[in-house]
Amino acid sequence: MKKLSSIILSAIMLLSFAACGGNNADERTSNAVDSLVEKYGYQWTDTTKPILNAEGAKDISFNIYSSKNASALDYNDMKVMQDLYESTNVRVTWENVSESVYTTQKNLIFGNAADRPDAIYHAGMSAGEIIKYAKRKVLLPISDYLDYMPNFKKILEDRPDIKKQLLNVEDNKIYSLPRIEEMGLLQYPNLLFINKSWVNKVIEAGAVTGITSADVKDGLELTAAQMENILKYFRDNDMNGNGKTNDERPMNFVYNNWQGNQCDLYGMFGLNDNLEHRVIVDGRVTYSVVDDRFKEATNFISKWVTDGLIDKVSFEQSQDNFLANGKGLEIYGAFYWWESETVVSHPENYVVCKPLLGPNGDQTICVSNNPEIGTGEVIIFRDCPNPEVLLTYFDRYYMPEISAQINYGPIGIVYEEEKDENGMLVQKPIPEGVTADELRLQNAPLGIIYLNDYAWKNVLNMEPRAKLRLDRLDLYASPFVANSVKPVPNLQFTLEELNVLSNYETGINDYITTNLIEWLLKGGVKDSAWGDFKTRINQIGLPQVQKVFQDAYDRYASENK
Amino acid sequence: MFKGESSYIAGAKGNFGKMIKNLRRNYPLLFFLLPAVVVVILFCYLPIYGILIAFQDFMPGDKILSDTTIWVGFDNFSRFFNDFQFWPLMKNTFLLCIIGFVIGFPLPIIMSLLLNALKSKRMAKFLQTVYNAPHFISLVVMVGMLYLFFGRYGLVNNIAEKLGFDRYSYFLEKGAFRPMYILSSNWQDFGWSAIIYIAALSNVEPEHHEAAVIDGASRFQRLIHIDFPAITPIVSVMLIMSIGGLMGVGYEKVLLMQTAGNLSTSEIIATYVYKKGLTGVPDQGYATAIGLFNSIINVILLIIANTVSKKFSENSLW
Amino acid sequence: MEQSIINTNKKKNRMKESRSDRVFYIVDMIFLFIMAAIVIYPLYFIIIASISNADAVLGGRVFLYPVDITFVGYAKIMERADVWTGYLNTIIYTLLTTVFALVITVLAGWALSRKKLPFRKFFMVFFIITMFFGGGLIPFYNVVSSLGLLNSIWAIILPSVLSVWNLFMTKTFFEGMSESMIEAAEIDGAGHTATFFYIILPLSKAIMAVMALYYAVGQWNSYFNAMIFLKDEAKYPLQLVLREILIASETTTGGSGETILEQYRLANQLKYVSVIISSLPVIMLYPFVQKHFAQGVMIGALK
Repeated sequence: MKKLSSIILSAIMLLSFAACGGNNADERTSNAVDSLVEKYGYQWTDTTKPILNAEGAKDISFNIYSSKNASALDYNDMKVMQDLYESTNVRVTWENVSESVYTTQKNLIFGNAADRPDAIYHAGMSAGEIIKYAKRKVLLPISDYLDYMPNFKKILEDRPDIKKQLLNVEDNKIYSLPRIEEMGLLQYPNLLFINKSWVNKVIEAGAVTGITSADVKDGLELTAAQMENILKYFRDNDMNGNGKTNDERPMNFVYNNWQGNQCDLYGMFGLNDNLEHRVIVDGRVTYSVVDDRFKEATNFISKWVTDGLIDKVSFEQSQDNFLANGKGLEIYGAFYWWESETVVSHPENYVVCKPLLGPNGDQTICVSNNPEIGTGEVIIFRDCPNPEVLLTYFDRYYMPEISAQINYGPIGIVYEEEKDENGMLVQKPIPEGVTADELRLQNAPLGIIYLNDYAWKNVLNMEPRAKLRLDRLDLYASPFVANSVKPVPNLQFTLEELNVLSNYETGINDYITTNLIEWLLKGGVKDSAWGDFKTRINQIGLPQVQKVFQDAYDRYASENK
Repeated sequence: MFKGESSYIAGAKGNFGKMIKNLRRNYPLLFFLLPAVVVVILFCYLPIYGILIAFQDFMPGDKILSDTTIWVGFDNFSRFFNDFQFWPLMKNTFLLCIIGFVIGFPLPIIMSLLLNALKSKRMAKFLQTVYNAPHFISLVVMVGMLYLFFGRYGLVNNIAEKLGFDRYSYFLEKGAFRPMYILSSNWQDFGWSAIIYIAALSNVEPEHHEAAVIDGASRFQRLIHIDFPAITPIVSVMLIMSIGGLMGVGYEKVLLMQTAGNLSTSEIIATYVYKKGLTGVPDQGYATAIGLFNSIINVILLIIANTVSKKFSENSLW
Repeated sequence: MEQSIINTNKKKNRMKESRSDRVFYIVDMIFLFIMAAIVIYPLYFIIIASISNADAVLGGRVFLYPVDITFVGYAKIMERADVWTGYLNTIIYTLLTTVFALVITVLAGWALSRKKLPFRKFFMVFFIITMFFGGGLIPFYNVVSSLGLLNSIWAIILPSVLSVWNLFMTKTFFEGMSESMIEAAEIDGAGHTATFFYIILPLSKAIMAVMALYYAVGQWNSYFNAMIFLKDEAKYPLQLVLREILIASETTTGGSGETILEQYRLANQLKYVSVIISSLPVIMLYPFVQKHFAQGVMIGALK
């Protein structure tokens, strides 16, 4: 009986293998472009003229798969996309799915080798995926086609740092188109806000020395000791006057959130911590968690936690809970967040502080590794016919004026047809019944763009909120970070290096996370435990991971200069 | 030697003859089975070749059997076994599953017996409808409510504080994760799982009860000696199948409930694999290998459970 | 006749009810009520949370009664046409799945329960294997795709028409049926088919009701197959539509300031609303299904 079943099974298996589809990507012949030029008037040099002639618009079309924000219109119906077709004659049929569906379908799209689209927009490809698919010749090496992409080519020439973030180490080619939005907002993800009138009450009560109520304005500078006294007073008194002394949350944040997290606190001890605990100092990849100052800082912060100065809810709450509790009755004393405006009902009651001045005189902040350059945003499949045309088309996205529309919405809906006297795009008045954001999400596909300093100065204005935050960062964040400290950029790894990361990183992260929270919540770390921690973390692969990052960073930095 | 052989052949012939006879007489039963077999072949056996991915370095789009296939032998398995987290992960997964099983398996049985023993059948029906409702709550809402009730400023802590206790961070204490996870899962599903037992109880013949009452048996005695035996066959089968599915805990709910504070108890194989998939190299082979490893443990458990059950009762799955 | 037996039973019971029995009934009742209370409060909470201000819910200020009553969440969902088509689709998928599944499961369960079934051991192993070993998503997708089912409602229905778990429960149920009765039928000359349809099926209402319920609710709550196999949004089942709405309201890509706040408020309210919208019909239908297995079906037939 067993034999019979195994025979049936293997027969079934064989059948199913036969059913698996084929996959060949043919190399393109050299005269393909010539015939495109001849037949369809293909041109890529003049970026203001159509890419194809009317004949080409009829015969050539691309099928692009893309996730879209759920509030967005179907890309086929978006004015930006229609305008692009008008100006390029390149016809694109968009196949839109929602973001959550895309996450599930991504592997299936790649898996269905016989029937893939020409390209994926909003592809969200990780470095690991790109390198493995590139090796399998699934992806088109975009860098072989740079001649047909004047704008993108220029970006790569002007910005070797961007180029280095895209180049596959294994074969020195580029397999994806990036999104580049350089506003300078992401590197410092936290700001410290404190309740103005509450601090004034503390000063009046004489519970804190060294500051006067005249100091209580944006840019308030507090030492750790002063902050401690203020928080103690917040904790013990009925600050919001509702008759209860126990509903005030002296200090509060969202632990390990991508912004508004605990990392700035480590700046009191001179560490530029972040969620990965990894930062570049003087060209070296360093880990804050093996620095003895980290122990000192953890013990110090932990005391604030056990004393109830940092509310324990900070370690368990989600962003939603944090935001919800900021509304209505004021219960937040001090908090870390991106901005105060979204957190509390009356942001005018709160002031921005400078980074806290630590017990040993250190004063710096978190330097996060949130990149402003998103790699893997668009990939092209090797089977795509006429990739030159598609790439020339995508190349237009990198022109500042088109980038602006891709990112914020089209001229005619979001922007006025007429520019202002400086040649900047002018916002149209927002129609009744929608907010600016709704209008943007509906009409802008987002995705591959290049918005840099030049664009902000010559093409479009930053949104007021972004500008506000930028100004705050200029005053209260950037000046406190040493020039030698840099975030870790997008790095390119070899397959071997990626395997090392894959083997160790999740385990190391877990190990750090479990220990750190234990220390912070349960009264700090003893010297013996700290010694054990450092030994153990080396045993489980931190040096290997560090070396991989160092090698990758060295490659990035070497040719970058 | 010769003798043995010939008798072996004769035996086989005898068996074969019996088989033919049986086949001839009972073949209509095979037609009863046919649709189910077709469905299983189509949707379970045709794709089952995917198991081979466990022994490959596989990316979607790769062919599973061709000369371009990258075979890696047992690499994917040994990578998992050699992970320094292997034993903690096994421990966490096992504990979560086993405690969950020990509480979650008997609860619906007890509930069905108690419901069945209610004198008012209308009340029993009403209660049953109530007990079923939580089954329909989505995971996100379920965990959201847990947070609202058991969070630091949640309902439970607010009441505790009024009663003079300190606030307790259920979500930050590693000891609180398992009870919270298991009790909430049971809360959601005990009523739903009881349905099958309640249906089985409806087949108890009233004559048995009448006879027992005449013999002076109390209601509780009848519950133990009449009601419970009536459902033991289904209980045994459910028991065997549940043990066989013991390791099959998914990552979604655990991940939603995970905080830095409870990570040391809430990191289970499924969540770990999920996280590995998000960082570093995407690796279908690795995830498949771990799935296969889980399946093998489950099969072993199933065989043990079935054998034990066969030995101690006449009930077994096969 | 039957009625009178039950009545006399009742009288007898009342007479004979001992003190220990009374204690048992009271304890039983109290225990079941406590469980009911534990179940009901969170259900009640979902209802009040679905009509309360999201900030109050998330801030833990809602527990006994709704705060700042608002029906925005319901309005937002009801105004959408796709929710209603989703409902319709789900009903269609659920009905079709349940009908097919019932036929397949009951037939196969009966066959497997017969010791006489040729190759019985083989078939058991054949089914058990599938409970543990699967090929994973990509091969499954490719098979469904090569069967030509992509973007077809059959891709949602066909893979769900058999759960081996349910099959084994059904098999066990049949095994518990009185063997003598079946043999009697066979001696009377009834073949397999006749025995099954005239003797067995009428006695199987209970198991069929339970299976119908399990299959129907399984399909009602599912969205994953729809998510990977359906391209056409007009075919989306309710759960997928609700999921999309929920996710849409959660995403903050490119949004800032007030939008973020508005979105998370809406998202949090929609979570609760969608639970109610999607589960209420099924919960209300439950008592009608319950009828079929909560009363002793076997008794009458056996006499």
